[in-house]
Amino acid sequence: MTARGLYIYCVAKGDREEPLDLCGIEGTPLWALTDQGLVAIVQECEPKPFASADQKVFANWLLIHQNIVDLAWERYETIIPFGFGTVILPTNGNSARQNLNEWLEKESAEVTRKLEYLKNKAEYGVQVLWDPNVILPRIREQDAEIQQSEKETRSKPAGVAYLLQRKLEELIRQRLETAADVHFKTFYHRIRECVENIHIEKVRKEDPPKQMILNVSCLQNKEAMTALGAVLENIGQMPGFDVRFTGPWPPYSFVTAGG
Amino acid sequence: MLNQTSMEPTRQGRATLVDLLDRVLDKGLLINADMIISLAGVPLIAVNIRAAIASVETMLDYGLMRDFILPQILPQDTPLQSPPNTGFHPPD
Repeated sequence: MTARGLYIYCVAKGDREEPLDLCGIEGTPLWALTDQGLVAIVQECEPKPFASADQKVFANWLLIHQNIVDLAWERYETIIPFGFGTVILPTNGNSARQNLNEWLEKESAEVTRKLEYLKNKAEYGVQVLWDPNVILPRIREQDAEIQQSEKETRSKPAGVAYLLQRKLEELIRQRLETAADVHFKTFYHRIRECVENIHIEKVRKEDPPKQMILNVSCLQNKEAMTALGAVLENIGQMPGFDVRFTGPWPPYSFVTAGG
Repeated sequence: MLNQTSMEPTRQGRATLVDLLDRVLDKGLLINADMIISLAGVPLIAVNIRAAIASVETMLDYGLMRDFILPQILPQDTPLQSPPNTGFHPPD
């Protein structure tokens, strides 16, 4: 018995145990290992976390992981992807292979149920960005308090005006925040209506002046994308707003417990 | 307000690469079990990878990256004779 670990890429339905004509991280051959009508796409590896001080090596591994998952997705049609760096270890006299089989046996009902749920579906990323420089004049036009505060600031001597300017900036910041929140809710509900499932993600920092106000992962049938596409097209045509629509991706965001 | 055209999703471009790598890094099935290790338990490594993504991001977009990665993972001449961890044979 070897003391090697198994790096796992994804699981799918299948009952053919076979070498895949592919190499994984560090050029190691890939295998489809089966149990309980499920197939796990794996490669052998050292039984320890994947680490490299070289960032390029790391990035390369990450991309290999994603490409393998992608190829498996094409081949098996429905998969449950694992995140980068999952290694099944040999433990207490069990080989990693035995541990894999034990896990598949224990989880087969849940994994099979999840695979059924994910059938024909894919994940899509949606991000909405806005440009406050375009949005703010429209807020200002409709906001009596901002208009009043601007008027007051202009009419006061420098020292007082400085303080008022500070107050005005804070008021504008609050108004933008409220507007972002209102837009987030509106967009979220419109998107939610067009998809099977949705997760809210953290917004990312963008190159100024653009700001991301919404970041979601959506799960939807690959053949039923028209409604979502139409909603996003519509949002993207609003002045000051941009939409990023990425995918189809393997359902990374919808495979955790309860997802 | 109803728009007749429909936006199409894309897998190309730098922002898309970041969107993808975020998923590969932070998501996917997580198993809590003694026999499994994942990067979720190794925060320092995750930070390293974030930096790695940033450096790669400036070099290449995903389209090019795919051309770069595929030759590494497509068929090799290595003969594959026995499954890994052959100490255990599953029932036929």
